[in-house]
Amino acid sequence: MKFAAGILLLLAASTLAGTPAPAAAAGGNSCIDCHRELEPRMAAPTEHFAEDIHAVRGLGCVGCHGGDASDPDITAMDPDKGFRGAPKRSEIAEWCAKCHADAAFMKRYNPQPYVFSMAEFRTSVHCKKISEGDTKVATCTNCHGVHGILPHKDPRSPVYPTNVPATCSKCHNSQYMKGRTVPTNQYALYVNSVHGKALLEKGDLSAPACNDCHGNHGAVPPNTRDISVVCGNCHGREGELFAKSGVSHALELEGKRGCATCHGNHDIQRPTDAMIGLGPGGVCGQCHTPESPGGRATAVLVPQFHGLKIEIAEADSLLAVADRLGMDTEAGRGLLREADDQLVNVRVSLHTFDRAQISDAITASSELATKSMAQARALLADWRTRRVGLGGSLVVILILIALLVYQIRRIESPRA
Amino acid sequence: MGSVREWLRDRLGLDEIQHLVEKKDVPVHRHSFWYYWGGMTLFLFGVQVVTGILLLLYYRASADEAYESVRFLMTQVSFGWLIRSIHSWSANLMIGAAMIHMFSTFLMKSYRTPREVTWLSGMVLLGLSMAFGFSGYLLPWNQLAFFATKVGTDIVGAVPGVGHFLLRFLRGGDQITGGTLTRFFGFHVAILPAVTTLILGMHLYLVQRHGMSVPPSVEQGPTPPPRMKFVPNFLLRDMVGWLAALGLLALLAALFPWELGIKADPYVPAPAGIKPEWYFGWMFQTLRMLPSHILGLEGELVGILGIGLAGMVWLVVPFLDDVRGIGPRARFWRIVGVIAILYVTVFTLMVYRGGTP
Amino acid sequence: MKRRDFLDWLFWISGTTVGAFVLYPVVRYLVPPEMPEAATRRVNAARGDELAPGAFKIFPFGGEPGILIRNPDGSYRAFSAVCTHLGCTVQYRPGERMIWCACHDGFYDLEGRNVSGPPPRPLERYDVHLAGDEVVVEKAQTA
Repeated sequence: MKFAAGILLLLAASTLAGTPAPAAAAGGNSCIDCHRELEPRMAAPTEHFAEDIHAVRGLGCVGCHGGDASDPDITAMDPDKGFRGAPKRSEIAEWCAKCHADAAFMKRYNPQPYVFSMAEFRTSVHCKKISEGDTKVATCTNCHGVHGILPHKDPRSPVYPTNVPATCSKCHNSQYMKGRTVPTNQYALYVNSVHGKALLEKGDLSAPACNDCHGNHGAVPPNTRDISVVCGNCHGREGELFAKSGVSHALELEGKRGCATCHGNHDIQRPTDAMIGLGPGGVCGQCHTPESPGGRATAVLVPQFHGLKIEIAEADSLLAVADRLGMDTEAGRGLLREADDQLVNVRVSLHTFDRAQISDAITASSELATKSMAQARALLADWRTRRVGLGGSLVVILILIALLVYQIRRIESPRA
Repeated sequence: MGSVREWLRDRLGLDEIQHLVEKKDVPVHRHSFWYYWGGMTLFLFGVQVVTGILLLLYYRASADEAYESVRFLMTQVSFGWLIRSIHSWSANLMIGAAMIHMFSTFLMKSYRTPREVTWLSGMVLLGLSMAFGFSGYLLPWNQLAFFATKVGTDIVGAVPGVGHFLLRFLRGGDQITGGTLTRFFGFHVAILPAVTTLILGMHLYLVQRHGMSVPPSVEQGPTPPPRMKFVPNFLLRDMVGWLAALGLLALLAALFPWELGIKADPYVPAPAGIKPEWYFGWMFQTLRMLPSHILGLEGELVGILGIGLAGMVWLVVPFLDDVRGIGPRARFWRIVGVIAILYVTVFTLMVYRGGTP
Repeated sequence: MKRRDFLDWLFWISGTTVGAFVLYPVVRYLVPPEMPEAATRRVNAARGDELAPGAFKIFPFGGEPGILIRNPDGSYRAFSAVCTHLGCTVQYRPGERMIWCACHDGFYDLEGRNVSGPPPRPLERYDVHLAGDEVVVEKAQTA
């Protein structure tokens, strides 16, 4: 009887609402059906829930909140039926971890589940603050959403790489962070940085977002040694060379910030050659005086480096001249390309902070630039040969024309 | 040596040929200078045939290889740059010479009876040279050539009635593809040379048969003009001109080599400033300047029809002008000729000075 | 008389010279060059004994670098050496048997597939065959 009445109630509710009853895992989802009709604050969870990855995988509301989804009455929310209500902010992470840290459970949905999010989260500043009672910090739902959670590979998800900076900056801005001592300019700096532009403007998903350097769940500002490890994850060669160099160790001792000392952290720009040395824009001057061994090394290397760039530019313009004259510069350009590749290598080798290695790299590039220049000169010499050939043939033609005219005159003059 | 000549003489009829050649003479008067331009056009055509055949030894007519083969020719083949640049420059010089020849014979009214067919065949030859130029221009398969061909065939497509058929015939399809290149190559090295040989043969035969025409002003003069033997006098003078042309070609080829350009890529937007070769320039400029609609018809269509009509009239002027070339009708057509020269010259220059877009 | 004969002689000499100036380039042109074909579809990348097994070589191919790798069994494989991320020239790491791009730590396997790091696409693969003592690399035939 009660069952029949319940069905009638359901049907009545659905006809009044005008939409058909939503399919649920086990015979209807009364949670959605009731909550949809309530005031906005109560109805909000039902809006996007159909897309939620949990709903799609058949977990429904009861998967987190417990209760009885087939019971159309308020008794669905009976604690005896497992109903837990809404979690407190400080409990959210534990709730999620109940499944997401359970490998055996997660394997039902994914043969290779990632179950360390909670362990990571415990190392984070966010978790520490929550356990101290500060609830104005991020927990799972702040980044992943709550009743419309999409997989991180879905471009609409707030944790899809191109959306991550905006998600983090929802809290990490000057308004929300008022009263705290943490910097709040990260987003503004990042958006103008080379990584920000690559990710957000060019859509290059290989460029790092906040989580690539700070960690996904274990968000912590990296310390000195960590910074080089973090950057070296992608910038492998530079990281490797820097770790072995004397500068890395020196920076560690002084508590400076590794790669960020010269390159910045959120506002990393494409490095320019002006950064090398003690001149304007040079980063070496942060620590080195001109009389120091380092300072004196730059005094030797910087002119060598600029000399190399001039060599390459000269070879390039000479090849351009040859091009315009119609000569084939393919071989010369190939060599110049190699010289350019080696120039990149020079810039990488700077991270060894070792005079000998840097000098060697400069020499390697310079040799190639010289060869390219030689090619260009050979082409121009060919060109000059053509002009000589032209000159010669024109002279001969003019002589012949003159002799022809003479012959004509001779034939036509009255005979002596 | 003498017996070899005799042997050939008996078999080839060299005697008759020698007699004809010795008979040929050229009138000498103040307009005789213009007589050289037919021979100049012929000489430059000869240069085209020779350099064209040489280019055939290395050129490959497929979209995949055309550009690369021209590049190879310009850079790896001994004097390949010279042969190719001469071929490209001589094409332009030849059409220029042909136009000077046409305009000078027009103003001298050489088309009068009995030389009407000579004029008609000459006009056909001019059309053939422009077809040679248009088809040859595509063969290096670079961006400029590709898009210039596209624009040119688009305009052909706008001709009412047969336009679409002609466009598909020229392009070998609806778009310009490797198939177009193959087809243009066939036109350029086989069909056009064959047709040109026939028409040129007819044109030269007719010139020999009728001899050189004398302009009306000289004809009306008190005495007939003195005559110069073709061999050796006129021919030696011809050779002076030909040598000068040869020197000019060498200079142009060495100092202003024809560029390779960038390989054609139909998926890249057309480069700015595409224009056809200069000899189509006046038509191109005319079409560009017409408003988009004239009396309810599309401007471009009116332009094409107008140019077509003008061409038709130009073609049949021998039948419209006074038979003796004197009087008010003759003067009218002379003025028409001068206007035509000015129009073509000015409009051609306008293309290069960036006339009204 | 003598002057006339001299000028006649000079006339024929200069005529012949002009003829030679015209014929010489034509004759040289007819002789095929060292390389019979353009090197944009096919190139001699190395000599037969140049690379040891496990070694690699960067060679020019149509204006861009290519990479030729000799497998341990003596056979060869070749790819475009232009990294599909930002265009740096890749190299071969025999220890890991992977192709590597030093710029941002991109990795490709020995089939040219982009397996790790930023590269979004595999490397273009070329055909390799031996012609006598030369290792010839050719652009792969399209279907």
